[in-house]
Amino acid sequence: MKEFAVFWGCTIQTRFPFIEKSTRMVLESFKLPYRDIDGFTCCPEKSLVNNVDHGAFVVTAARNVALVDELGYDLVSPCTGCVSNLATVRGELNANPREKAEVNGLLKEIGREFTGTASLKHLVPFFHDTVGVHTIKQKIKRDFKGMRIALHYGCHMIRPSHALRADDPLNPVKFDNLIRGLGAESLQFMTKLMCCGQGLDRIDEHDKALDFARVKLKELKAMKADALVLCCPSCFLQFDNNQFLMEKEGERFGIPVIYFTELLGLALGFSAEELGMSNHRIDCASFLTKWEELSAKPAVAKGIEEGLTGPNALG
Amino acid sequence: MLEAKLDLKLLEMCSKCGACYSICPSCVNIPGYDPRAVIKSILDGEHEKWINHHSIWECLECHYCLEMCYQHYGFESAMTAMRNIATRKGAHPPQVKRGWDMFVKTSRLGEPALPARKKLGLPEPKASGAEEFRKLYALLNEKRAQHKAE
Repeated sequence: MKEFAVFWGCTIQTRFPFIEKSTRMVLESFKLPYRDIDGFTCCPEKSLVNNVDHGAFVVTAARNVALVDELGYDLVSPCTGCVSNLATVRGELNANPREKAEVNGLLKEIGREFTGTASLKHLVPFFHDTVGVHTIKQKIKRDFKGMRIALHYGCHMIRPSHALRADDPLNPVKFDNLIRGLGAESLQFMTKLMCCGQGLDRIDEHDKALDFARVKLKELKAMKADALVLCCPSCFLQFDNNQFLMEKEGERFGIPVIYFTELLGLALGFSAEELGMSNHRIDCASFLTKWEELSAKPAVAKGIEEGLTGPNALG
Repeated sequence: MLEAKLDLKLLEMCSKCGACYSICPSCVNIPGYDPRAVIKSILDGEHEKWINHHSIWECLECHYCLEMCYQHYGFESAMTAMRNIATRKGAHPPQVKRGWDMFVKTSRLGEPALPARKKLGLPEPKASGAEEFRKLYALLNEKRAQHKAE
């Protein structure tokens, strides 16, 4: 497997270092050749930087991609936004040789070159395509049979599809395949692909951000989902932090929000404590307790084989 | 150089379609939000009335419209262009302004949380590319000034 640099992004390193922790634990468990490299900046965040200065958006992303291009590494990120932004710019430059030449003219003056050769992947499609569901199944110590999980893809894991080519942009399946590979049921529900709406918090419209969170959380509560599983720090902020803020105001949903690497980490045998899950604002205890209870139950069809093949009273 | 653009031919086609309207999460969940009205104003030469309107910031850039669009264009393109115009006129939300200032100054949207990292046993964060980024951004602005002068 080709070596890859992990692009952690600003949000995980600033607000959710425990997500970095579980990601590292999982990458190490699978002995994946990941590297930390010097020199990354913000990807940059499209909804902020591209709205202010398109040129700044393009040159910043091109420089980040150039860093991995030069080392001959691929890039993997546990943040959907980062991958989507980097891939969007790579797509724009590869489709537009004149613009690419302009950008490389600037990069040359700081000793860099964008070639756009590195593969840029989000962690979920990476685990699906490169590690593989089969390998994961063999590696895990305990599955999630009986657990009812609601997935939230996160818009930028799959869109824009022309730049990412990660999954079907309107009917994605890879995250579902991984969750089913871990033995859980992946619930199908109306708001499954609805945008989390966290972007509204970034433009001073907090009440509307809460409205968005409420739509999905209400449906999940009605369905009695055991957890919402996602793999994007912005979506995590929206469903964990904003759910907590709503609960403080008396609106209770009780939906634990679990990062993909935490779920995978639990299956690999790490404890919730080791994975840093106590840092969540919404308590994951209900999920963990149900999981414990399920594992205390007898195995599927326990004793049937012995019953059919054992001693016969008729002699 | 490297400025935002808006393709008016595609926008003209876009204004006659609306296939993405019912899949857009903001159209569905924010009462009164309708990019079709913004697009109509742009084509009527009246885009300025939206510059101070919160609607242009309520596009979440989820790219659903882009995927639905038979032109692979999407009405987010018009909303992005409007936000660029609003920002040039200083009409962007305060949080966008704060975020931009931090980005230009530090090249990031926040610094790694060091005490929490230590507690979790995480390694020292790698060096940021802030200095090189500032140089690159200054170069871009220099080149733009040159282009303008020519």
